[in-house]
Amino acid sequence: MHTYSNRKGTTRNEHAFSMPTLVCAVFFLTSVAAAQFYLPPPPPKQPADYGKVILNSQISKPNSPGAVSFDHWLHRSKFTCRICHVDIGFAMVANTSGIRAESNRQGFHCGACHDGRRLFDGKPVFAACKDTPANSMCERCHSEGKKSARKYEYSTFTARFSKALYGINWESTEASGVIKPVDFIEGISIKKSEMKSREDFAINSGVIWVHPVFFSHEKHSLWNGCELCHPEIFPTARKSAVQYSMFSNIEGRHCGACHLKVAFPLNNCQMCHPRAPRWAQQ
Amino acid sequence: MVTRLALKKTIAVVSLVSFSVLWLAAASSAIAASEPGPQEVQAPAIEAWQREFDHVCSKTQDAMGFSEQELAVLIQRCDTLQTKIEKLDETRKKVYAGRLKMCRGLYAYVLESKRNDKK
Repeated sequence: MHTYSNRKGTTRNEHAFSMPTLVCAVFFLTSVAAAQFYLPPPPPKQPADYGKVILNSQISKPNSPGAVSFDHWLHRSKFTCRICHVDIGFAMVANTSGIRAESNRQGFHCGACHDGRRLFDGKPVFAACKDTPANSMCERCHSEGKKSARKYEYSTFTARFSKALYGINWESTEASGVIKPVDFIEGISIKKSEMKSREDFAINSGVIWVHPVFFSHEKHSLWNGCELCHPEIFPTARKSAVQYSMFSNIEGRHCGACHLKVAFPLNNCQMCHPRAPRWAQQ
Repeated sequence: MVTRLALKKTIAVVSLVSFSVLWLAAASSAIAASEPGPQEVQAPAIEAWQREFDHVCSKTQDAMGFSEQELAVLIQRCDTLQTKIEKLDETRKKVYAGRLKMCRGLYAYVLESKRNDKK
């Protein structure tokens, strides 16, 4: 019990009370400040920009067609992740695949599909980096910072797609049959046996106030294949050898390799940490 | 008499010209048939290393079902293939080395997990 007066004795009591409070306050504020560095960055305001990849943004040559602006949502609606990142071999980090106009013309990278001959939806897919001078098609991909008309516009293209807190809910869009992502391309993909269903499992959280993660191994392996995640993103099968945490996710490792850039963002906590798994709720 | 001779000559010339025209038409159509049209794409000959690549990397989805010995053989085949891929041109080397790294990595990952399960 403290009494406040101007007398000498009570002044010392006041100090005894305020010092722990001050220490706690400093500790709390420091923790809050430190936590700011480890909060997932907010996704872009425009859902169309989520997952956008700018390729060769450093191009500065005078005759350069400029940087490529790649929309993940457009290709994601037509193909599984595996087609591009395993079968064609696009790296998971932008500007590390070594894409060149020449490699496209040789039938690699974008040119694996965009060769002017391959049919998709009954129409030939336009040829990437076609060897003609002043090709008016360049701006179709090399569109970053240009007001050129893209063929597909996000809001129109995704009008029938299920939406989530940040952009498209790919899982329910596919489940509803609005999209049917292709998982095999003749001449690119290798014929494999059918993917055996992997067991879904729960990952317990390190703290009691956070619900466990219910991880759909089945869905992830169907979309990605096994080799996209193991061992590159999840490097070891040995339990407790690697500490998976929100810190590593936010740094772009583990779940953050996709769920920070393309797949639904980490800010959407309940997508991974629901109260109960969906199969248990049914 | 003269008229009959002229008629015979005319018939002979017309026959010869017709035969030549027909022969040329047949020959040119045969040549055209042997060449691919603008819409046709000739399938590139699959090289031996690529056949091996397709064979080795087509088993990734079955990796969990392989024994340790089978996985070790697959890893060995990936390593042998790697030396062949190193000799390809820059673009093919980059693309196929990356793809091979993924399947080799997966086989090594599954092998490691199987060995850990035994412990």
